[in-house]
Amino acid sequence: MSLLSSYVDKTVSVVTNDGRILIGILKGFDQSCNVILESTVERIFGTDVAMQEVAVGLYVLRGDDIAILGELDAEKESETDFQQIQAAPLRPVVH
Amino acid sequence: MVLPLSLLKAAQGQPVLVELKSGDTYNGHLVNIDSWMNLNLREVVWTSREGDRFWKIAEIYVRGNTVKYLRVPEEIVDTLTDQQSQTTDKSSSFPKNRRPGSRGNKVFRRKLLNNSALRKTTLGFIT
Repeated sequence: MSLLSSYVDKTVSVVTNDGRILIGILKGFDQSCNVILESTVERIFGTDVAMQEVAVGLYVLRGDDIAILGELDAEKESETDFQQIQAAPLRPVVH
Repeated sequence: MVLPLSLLKAAQGQPVLVELKSGDTYNGHLVNIDSWMNLNLREVVWTSREGDRFWKIAEIYVRGNTVKYLRVPEEIVDTLTDQQSQTTDKSSSFPKNRRPGSRGNKVFRRKLLNNSALRKTTLGFIT
């Protein structure tokens, strides 16, 4: 049984190899770690602007491109004011 | 649970957005997709990595391993959720005769070798 099965139908956060942060509901996955994210939003951080959330809908992300996948902590999430957070965008993974 | 490749199979005929590892994006109608995520698109708008140049192409073929992600219409996941729940356990993203440990390939190779017509032409070619 894959370790990802406990995340199905939960909100997860994915960091991709190109440094994007995607938040969505995990609807499915396979052996290659390809994942389906529903109601996905991309969080874009900047050093001189507030965090932006862009709705990108239904996403099929290829396993090759995933750096980190984890369940989102709903409690932490609700008590964080992301508009106050400024951060440099993540740099892409280099192989 | 829905398997990513079954979702994409169900998205055939729908408009999709494909971003490749290179950063280029392709907007078009998904014509066909196989279990390696190789895909055909029709009526494609190709956008350069910087998003400043566009080309219109009638049809393209994308090799699966160059794909970063696909964006598909949201309705598709709803049509699949129920139907998939019974089959997830045994399903595999490998094509039937290429599952690890399967003899499919060997059998095919033997058949090829036993094909006398083919052998003749190959031998003829060598000598």
